[in-house]
Amino acid sequence: MASTIVLFVLTLVSVALGATAFTPSLDLRPLAEFYLENCLNQFNKDLWAASPEAVTSMLWDYRGLDTVYETTVFFLAIIGSVAAFRFGEAFLRSYEESKRKQRREEGLSLIVKVITRLTFVLIVALSIAIALHGHLTPGGGFQAGSIFAVAPLLAIAAFSRRFVEEFGLTKNTCLAIRTTGLITIALIALIPLLSIALGFTGVFIIQNQPKPWALQPSFPGFPVYLGPIWLAGTLILFNVAEFLTVASGFTLLFILLSLPEDFFRRLMGK
Amino acid sequence: MTSILGQILWLYMYGVLLAIVSISIYGVVVRPHILKKIIALTILADTANTFMIFIGYRLGATVPPILTTLNPSPSDIATFVSSAVDPVPQCLVITAIVINMAVTALLIFLSIQAYRLYRTLHVKELSRLRG
Repeated sequence: MASTIVLFVLTLVSVALGATAFTPSLDLRPLAEFYLENCLNQFNKDLWAASPEAVTSMLWDYRGLDTVYETTVFFLAIIGSVAAFRFGEAFLRSYEESKRKQRREEGLSLIVKVITRLTFVLIVALSIAIALHGHLTPGGGFQAGSIFAVAPLLAIAAFSRRFVEEFGLTKNTCLAIRTTGLITIALIALIPLLSIALGFTGVFIIQNQPKPWALQPSFPGFPVYLGPIWLAGTLILFNVAEFLTVASGFTLLFILLSLPEDFFRRLMGK
Repeated sequence: MTSILGQILWLYMYGVLLAIVSISIYGVVVRPHILKKIIALTILADTANTFMIFIGYRLGATVPPILTTLNPSPSDIATFVSSAVDPVPQCLVITAIVINMAVTALLIFLSIQAYRLYRTLHVKELSRLRG
């Protein structure tokens, strides 16, 4: 008990000391000022990220490497969960087969089902809109993916797991989509390095726009716009890939969590 | 610039966050049930995120850190820099939220598996089951 109290007091003191230096002020910290000044500074394109959204341009450009490693942590957490709940597809199929006869009508009442059908479409549309506008408005791949994952969760609650699987969102499809998203992120991050083979110089990992200090021929960077559509270089690609990763990752977790307890008991031979 | 009311509100908010931190640390350290530890851990993480957003606030800031035009003039950028809140804590927090969600999911999966194997989530009883 004494050690608990000591730990408790030490943590509180450290948190309190860490926060006393920060009181609200009129001025920004120099780092924040740099990001706000440069994120869409078309008069000095040396350090710009080509996005009006300072948070997204930090997340996927200035601090991009940090976010890639964060995606790695996400990958490991999901893979760990799937490994804890591993089973063969054939076993699940034989279990479903054995339960088919005693199955009654599934899901909640008609009202809930109709409302869920409506909100399912709205949630998916909203999440896609947020993912595609991540470099222009608040939001991005993470937020859009988390919003998308609510839709299968609702469908599992209102209908059943089989309803979601009839949509094509089975365990293996989710794993495949998630892997595609992760590979896309890795590829986009490595394209500048791969361009060394074409003779470009002055490149670095997760490069978005060309840098003026590179020797000629310098890396041309990713397209900032395509006709009237603003793309902001790598940012939209990263956002869409991250959307696929997060959305299918959480859907996968919800599908695994909705498997019946009886199935796992039979799987473990109890 | 800071009125007395503003400073009182600042201290109040600070105190509330510290109180929630202390309650959640108590939950993680003292409570013996793993599910309650996980709940306390998520509260701790969310409080830390709120705290980071809290210290990123800037007096007199009126806009979020997003430019509203794709073709800003130098005066637009100057106004933006002088009126936007600090984007750095927001960027750190969005990273932390996703990691927190993924780690919570992993913890829940592991504790469900532990419950299936041992039929208990009480740490004292789990530690007794060796081998």
